Amino acid sequence: MTGTIARKEILANLLSYKFYVVILLAAFLVATSFFIMTRDYKERLADYSLIRPKPGEPIAVNPPNPLSIFAKGLDEAMARSFEVGPTGITVRAGQKSGNTVFAFFPTPDFLYIVRVVLSLVALLFGFDQVSREKEGGTLRLILANPASRGTVLLGKWLGNFVSLAVPFLLVTALGIAVLGLDPAVRFSADQVLRLALILVLTLIYIAFFLSLGILVSALTRRVSSSLVILLFVWALLVFVLPNLGTLVARQMVDVPSVRALSEKRQQVWTREVLLRIRGVGDWASHVKTISAENDALEADYRVKFDRLVALSKNINRVSPVASFIYAATEIAGTGIGEEGALKKEVVRYKNGLIDRTLASPDAGISDYPAFRYSCRPLDRVLAGGALFDAAWLAVCGILFFALSYFVFVRYDVR
Amino acid sequence: MATSQPILKADDLSMRYEDGVLALDHLNLDVRPGEVYCLLGANGAGKTTTINLFLNFIPPTTGTCFINGIDVTKDPLEAKKYVAFVSENVMLYGNFTARQNLDFFAKLGGKTALAKNDYYQVMRRVSLQEKAFDQRVKNFSKGMRQKLGISIAIIKDAPAILLDEPTSGLDPKAATEFLEIMAELKNEGKAILMSTHDIFRAKEIGDRVGIMREGRLVMERTREELQHEDLNKIYIDYMKSAEQAT
Repeated sequence: MTGTIARKEILANLLSYKFYVVILLAAFLVATSFFIMTRDYKERLADYSLIRPKPGEPIAVNPPNPLSIFAKGLDEAMARSFEVGPTGITVRAGQKSGNTVFAFFPTPDFLYIVRVVLSLVALLFGFDQVSREKEGGTLRLILANPASRGTVLLGKWLGNFVSLAVPFLLVTALGIAVLGLDPAVRFSADQVLRLALILVLTLIYIAFFLSLGILVSALTRRVSSSLVILLFVWALLVFVLPNLGTLVARQMVDVPSVRALSEKRQQVWTREVLLRIRGVGDWASHVKTISAENDALEADYRVKFDRLVALSKNINRVSPVASFIYAATEIAGTGIGEEGALKKEVVRYKNGLIDRTLASPDAGISDYPAFRYSCRPLDRVLAGGALFDAAWLAVCGILFFALSYFVFVRYDVR
Repeated sequence: MATSQPILKADDLSMRYEDGVLALDHLNLDVRPGEVYCLLGANGAGKTTTINLFLNFIPPTTGTCFINGIDVTKDPLEAKKYVAFVSENVMLYGNFTARQNLDFFAKLGGKTALAKNDYYQVMRRVSLQEKAFDQRVKNFSKGMRQKLGISIAIIKDAPAILLDEPTSGLDPKAATEFLEIMAELKNEGKAILMSTHDIFRAKEIGDRVGIMREGRLVMERTREELQHEDLNKIYIDYMKSAEQAT
C-alpha cells in the first residue's frame, strides 16, 4: 500500500511542470557551482604552487583542499601562509580567492546550493501534501480505502523523497564525473569516501525539510497558509537561527581581540630584546622565553576562543541547518575542528623548528622538513562531532515526520 | 427486496461536534445486499455525517457503525475493504488520465492484478467515452468525473457502496445514466446507501427512503409503501413542520 501511494506521488511529480522547473533549476545551480568552485580551487592551487615553501623555509602552508569545491568552509583561512619567527607565528594573506564577487556574496559552493536552494525545493515538494489533497477532495477518496493514515503519510513522504533525491543525485553524480575529467582536480580514496558521506548527509538534510513541509501541510487546512508559514520557518532556520548563536555567544564569552594579542606579543618581544641589550642572558634563552610566552598567550586565547566557538555551535544547533553545515564541513576537512587541528600542528612545527635552531645554531635548517598537514582521519572527525550533528539532523527529521503522523491521525478529512 | 443480513448497519448512532451541535441523534438504519437506501433531508440534516461515520472519518459520540458485520471504529481498515465511496463532487488527480486514476484507486482498494483491458471494460460500462480513457481528468466535465468515480467504486467490487449526493449538479441525462448504473449494481447484490436532495430520483431508485431532520431519522418508507403515497408531499410536510418547530 505504501508503494502504491509512493508510486502515485512519483507519477504526479513526473506529470507536473513544477517538478521539471525545480529539477532544471537545481541542475543549473549545481553545474554553475561546480564550475565556479573548480575555477576558484584551481586558482588557489596555482597560488600554492608558487608560494609552496622548500625544506628549511620557516613557513607552513597548507594546499587547498579539493573537497572545498563542495564545502569551502574555512579552507581559505586554512590555506594561508603561517610564517614561523622568534615572536611566534605570523599569518600571511595566503591564497586569496581570485573571484572578488565572493566578497559581496556567499561562496556559491555545493553546500550553499543545498543549504539554501535544495531546502526550499524540498519544502516545495512537501508543503501541499496533505492540504492540497484535502482541498481537492481526494483525501476522502483515499481514506475511504483500507489504507491507514500512517501508510498514506509514509507513501507520500517516500514518493516525494525519491522524486527529489534521485534526480538530484543524478545531476550531482554527473557533475562529479565531469570534475573527474579535469586533471587538476584529483580526489584520494579517502576524499571520495568523504564526498559520499556529504551526499548521504545531503539526503538526510532533504529528508528533514520534506518532513517539515509535510508537518506544516498537515497542520494547515489551506495550501496558501502552509506556504506562507513554511517560507517564514525556512528563513528562520536557514538564515536567522544559524547566526543567532554567534551573536549571543559573543555577549557571554569574552575573547581578546587579535589586535590585543598581537600587541601583547610585541611587548614580550620588546622586553626580551631590551633585556638582551642590557646584557641579561643569551639570545637563545630570550628566544625560548619569547616562544614560550607567546605559546602561553596563544593557548589562553585558544581556550577562550574554543569556548566561544563551542557555545556558538551549541546555540546554533537549535537550527538543524547549522548541524548540517558543521557536519559537512568537518567531513570535507574544511570545518572549525579541522582548522583548530591545523593550527596546533603549525605551533608544533614552529616549536620543533625553534628547538632545532637553538640546539645547533650553526647547522642551519635547510634540511628541516617542510610543513605537511594531513586532515584528521575520518573516524576522528566523526567522533569529534560530525556524527552527532548528522544524528541530530536525522533525529529532527524523524521527529517532524512523527509529529506529522500524530497531526494527520487527528486530521479532519471532511 | 433482499432479506439477508445487513451489509451496512448504524446502531444507535449519535454524533455531537465539539461546538456542541448534535449532528446525528440515535440513528438506526441498515442496508441489505441488493438494496438501495436513500437518505433525504435538508442541508445539515445529518446525511453526510452518517456517511462520514461509516467511513470512520469521524468517531461517533455514541453508537456503532457496522460494515459487513465489522465495527468500523474498532477495525476501520478491515471494514473499508467492504465499502466503496462516491462523493458529491468527484475530485480526482487532474494531471492523471482516467485510467491512471482508476489504476491508483483500484490498487488502494486491493485490486493489484488488473490489466489495462479491465480498466477499459469498467469505463465502458459506465458509458465513459472511449477517447476519454487516456485523457487527463482535468479536462473532464462533472458528469464524466462522476462516471469515473462510479468506475472506481465498481472496480473495487465491494459489497457496499456509499454515495454522498452523487447526482447533485448533474444534467438530467447524466443523472439518469447514473441511476441506471446504480440499478445494475443493486441487481448484482450491492448494498447502496445514497444521501440525496433529489426526491424524484430517490423514489425511482430507492428500495427504502428515509427522511432525516436535525440528525434524526424522522420517517422511513419502503418502495411498496411509496407506491400509495406522495413522497414529495411527505418530504415538504416534514420540512414545514421543522420550520414551524423552530
